Amino acid sequence: MKNRLRVLRAEREWSQADLAERLEVSRQSVNAIETGKFDPSLPLAFKLARLFGATIEEIFTDESQG
Amino acid sequence: MRFLECKTNNPAVWRFTFRFGFLSLLYAVFGVLSTCGLLLWHPNGVLTWLLAILPTIPIAGAVVLTGRYMSEEKDEFQRAVLVQALLGGIGATLVVTTVWGFLENYAHFQRLNILMIWPLYLIFVGIAYGLVKARYR
Repeated sequence: MKNRLRVLRAEREWSQADLAERLEVSRQSVNAIETGKFDPSLPLAFKLARLFGATIEEIFTDESQG
Repeated sequence: MRFLECKTNNPAVWRFTFRFGFLSLLYAVFGVLSTCGLLLWHPNGVLTWLLAILPTIPIAGAVVLTGRYMSEEKDEFQRAVLVQALLGGIGATLVVTTVWGFLENYAHFQRLNILMIWPLYLIFVGIAYGLVKARYR
């Protein structure tokens, strides 16, 4: 699943480790989500959305929806 | 498993690694105790049974421990990696031991010592863990 995490993170000048700390997950988790290799669960997606003050749809793009 | 990843400050990982290491050591000790006890003392009845299944106690403990770690681990990605590594390890162990079993039955292969299956499983899980981590890198 594509996402705008890298952009949103860069806007705030956060490193992957900074974001991982805020989400209470490992840096590897952030990297896997950011590169689209791992899709987060709904609770984690909501946590991300809250953290960036955005909706889930603004962060993640459903590739199956043309 | 997680002990392959040296840099971590996750307390659940440390607890799991320490307890898993202790159970693996216990497995080796119980394996020696069971084998030596059965060969040297020639016990009878219930004692034979107890000595024979002694090494399985740490294995059962490791299964419970793994389940506990899964519920303690808050990082869903790390949980997913471990689940895939465990599935890989279980699958590889199943395939290898089954192939070996058929070779024992029909091709007169040397009998695979049952004590080797747990270390074999750990090796396969370790390899699978490395491969899964590499895929997400």
